[in-house]
Amino acid sequence: MIRNQYLQQLWELLSPVPERLRREWMYDYEEHFRMAAEHGRSEAEAAHELGDPRLIAKELLLTYRVDQAENSRSGGSITLVSRAVLAAVSLGFFNLIFVLGPYVALLGVLVALWSAAIGVGVSSLMAVYEGMFGGGVTMTQGIFIAMVLLGAGMLLGAGTHWLTKAFMKMTLAYLKFNSRVIRVNKK
Amino acid sequence: MNVQFKKGVLDLCVLALTAWEDRYGYELAVSMSAKFEVAVGSVYPLLSRLTQEGYFSTYLRESSEGPPRKYYKLTPQGHTHLMELIREWRSFSIAVDEIIKEGVER
Repeated sequence: MIRNQYLQQLWELLSPVPERLRREWMYDYEEHFRMAAEHGRSEAEAAHELGDPRLIAKELLLTYRVDQAENSRSGGSITLVSRAVLAAVSLGFFNLIFVLGPYVALLGVLVALWSAAIGVGVSSLMAVYEGMFGGGVTMTQGIFIAMVLLGAGMLLGAGTHWLTKAFMKMTLAYLKFNSRVIRVNKK
Repeated sequence: MNVQFKKGVLDLCVLALTAWEDRYGYELAVSMSAKFEVAVGSVYPLLSRLTQEGYFSTYLRESSEGPPRKYYKLTPQGHTHLMELIREWRSFSIAVDEIIKEGVER
């Protein structure tokens, strides 16, 4: 009874994970109950040993999210990395402050850089417009300025793109090694 | 032992246990928990993570009693990773020993 309840709850908590992987993961816990019974321990003892299924599910979901973000074709899209970060946050207060905080702050910096790159690029249109219709610069000057601005925008964009990728990679590496929670046996 | 200490070496230890023979989850969970006083329940997610990272592969093998057991096998990549972790651990522990000798046991 306790066993079925425990496994059922864990199964439901792992619902974001594809069924194949979920079954593979569940096998460990099913086996644990089985082996515990073989060693003459009750279902209640086995469940107590395993601890709260919600904690196990959170750990596993973090693994799943990090793996998903790492192996996505886009190489760690912002959405997938953010999901992984949120999965880490669910593991504890420490991660809320020391993972989510810096993550959001740095995302803000990246957004600012992206908009600066786009802004500089778009301003080249203004230069062309000014060259054609305005009196400030001649057509040739206008086009020249536009090319410089466009080039600068593209450089800034490329730089920010690289920075974004590096940041996503770093975040995932950090999540892999430092956001884990190890539970200690309660005596 | 301090929890932060343990966190760093659990990967190393669980990989080390499988260096010469494949083991099933329960076996690993129980021996890890006995040595380090970590909850049995936090060993299984650790195994899943190491599998996901490509350091373990798993397979089912019939056992004499009951249904087949899920075994964890170290992959070549896992082996390389283990050797790297051992190297790191050695240099770390040598450094700490030296500091202790120098600072405390002189």
